[in-house]
Amino acid sequence: MLYKAAFAVPLALAIGASYAADRFADQAPEEILQTLIDESGSAYLNQSPQNRQMMPDNPAYWVAEEGEELFKTPRGPKNASLEGCDFGKGPGVVEGAYVEMPRYFADTGKVMDLETRLVHCMTTLQGFAKDDPAVKKRHGSGSDMMKLQTYIAMQSNGLPWNPSLDHPMEKAMRDAGEVLFYRRAGPMDFSCNTCHGVTGQRIRASVLPNINEPHEWSKAISWPAERAGHQNVRSTQHRLRGCLWQMRHPGINAGSDASIALLSYWTDAARGQPAILPDLKR
Amino acid sequence: MLKRTTIAAAGAITAMALLTAGCTTNAAEQTAKGGGDYAKMSPDALAEHLIFETKSFKLDMPVQEGGTAEARLKQDEVQVLCSKLRGKPVDSETAAKVTAMSRETIKYPAGGIKLGDWKIGRQLAWSGFGYRVGHRNDDHSKAKNGPGGNCYNCHQLATDRTGGTIGPPLTGYGKLRGSSDAILKYTYDVIYNPHAYFACTHMPRIGAKGLLTEEQISHVMAYLFDPESPVNK
Ligand code: HEC
Ligand code: HEC
Repeated sequence: MLYKAAFAVPLALAIGASYAADRFADQAPEEILQTLIDESGSAYLNQSPQNRQMMPDNPAYWVAEEGEELFKTPRGPKNASLEGCDFGKGPGVVEGAYVEMPRYFADTGKVMDLETRLVHCMTTLQGFAKDDPAVKKRHGSGSDMMKLQTYIAMQSNGLPWNPSLDHPMEKAMRDAGEVLFYRRAGPMDFSCNTCHGVTGQRIRASVLPNINEPHEWSKAISWPAERAGHQNVRSTQHRLRGCLWQMRHPGINAGSDASIALLSYWTDAARGQPAILPDLKR
Repeated sequence: MLKRTTIAAAGAITAMALLTAGCTTNAAEQTAKGGGDYAKMSPDALAEHLIFETKSFKLDMPVQEGGTAEARLKQDEVQVLCSKLRGKPVDSETAAKVTAMSRETIKYPAGGIKLGDWKIGRQLAWSGFGYRVGHRNDDHSKAKNGPGGNCYNCHQLATDRTGGTIGPPLTGYGKLRGSSDAILKYTYDVIYNPHAYFACTHMPRIGAKGLLTEEQISHVMAYLFDPESPVNK
């Protein structure tokens, strides 16, 4: 605890803002976003006023509602509900669980993100086969996976990103993720940093979020989000896949260790800033 | 009372021992597949391990340039040197190395640097088509002009379309700079391998990596220099 506090102080100073942990807890996602815009004046955060207007009626709320029902219903060959699943804060505790992921789970010996953990519980606790559509279908608002992820993530709305780095595996994954973020490769020499290292730069008309600007990065990593252009709720893993596709890098497998390493680094980069969940993006 | 506490404490110690034991066994298990313990590897070594040894990427899928996607993730020397900067400005030692290496890659057309057709150049500068893999792989045989140059992704060129801002605006390029042999050569070099001038730049090595052919580069150059091109209007 003491160790953590010692680090928290310089970090808060470094990013120029520190929030009481519960400062945003009762605020709607659009109110949290507005505060971040007011504080930073960021062009990235400010780029879609029409999306911000739609946030109170975010279609993701319906998806989350179905997710809650799925979460609490006994399902699968073992007829168990996900209330027995430990997301890091004890069985069934979802409040604040997502902003602390990826994290190390002793029962699997792995650092896992929300999606990987869900798959783990659905296959072990509920007994679903790995290729059961409930587990296998990862994309689209109609999938169990997106319904569940949206519900669980929403229980962290307004809480500061605070992924654990106490376990050596968590630290190792975060540090490898940093290397991956800056690693140039492929026919166009792209790394994540090509497009996400400076504030206010655009690819054509899209303003890009900067990983070094925590206000911007907090929204950038706030997934699941309804993507207005896709008319579907999309996951963190879906976003990662999309950027790698634009980079002309090979496809990444959802839940793979490289994907978790990248997510460990990107979540750490937003540390202390409030999550906006569910978000609504272009 | 005393006895109880002792038992409880003993219990706690046993539980802790079990927990710790559990951690180590499981951690070893996670990494058993690839070998080695993640926590014992350097960040660089772990990153390489994750890419090539853990089935994280679809490495064996075919790619447009031939071979498999694995080759795309293997870094060349310039990529290695520039990645090490972790986003910081390039130091003089790295810059000297990268610049020297990059100059050597530049090949010039047999008949000298010529300007082609700015209308084709305009299409190539706009097009971001090409080389995507993983899902919905691009089929290069289906595109009339083949893969594009992606210039508008990063640059504002003619003002009739919105360009990106990762690179500087190139609006009015030929009008502002003229078209002396020196400026033509400079521009050709930058398009062919921008690291020859800007070590560890974010601009792709359009010629050196074969993203555009010599002929296609001549069309893009015409788009930059031709007085009739919208870039110079
Ligand atoms: C060639 C440019 C490019 C590269 C390289 C790139 N991205 Fe992106 N990224 C984008 C664009 C464009 C968006 C969408 C922004 C928008 O629409 O507002 C985006 C969005 C994102 C977002 C979500 C922000 C949002 O508002 O949608 C995250 C997080 C992200 N990228 C992470 C990464 C990571 C991690 C990598 C490396 C694996 C990476 N990006 C590489 C261009 C890039
Ligand atoms: C991923 C982004 C990116 C892409 C794609 C890109 N460039 Fe660039 N370009 C840059 C950056 C960044 C610079 C500035 C060099 C530096 O300082 O790093 C630059 C510089 C240049 C310059 C030199 C400008 C000057 O003021 O001397 C020219 C010319 C140029 N680019 C042309 C092109 C053309 C033509 C294309 C398409 C075939 C292209 N670029 C594609 C990022 C890009």
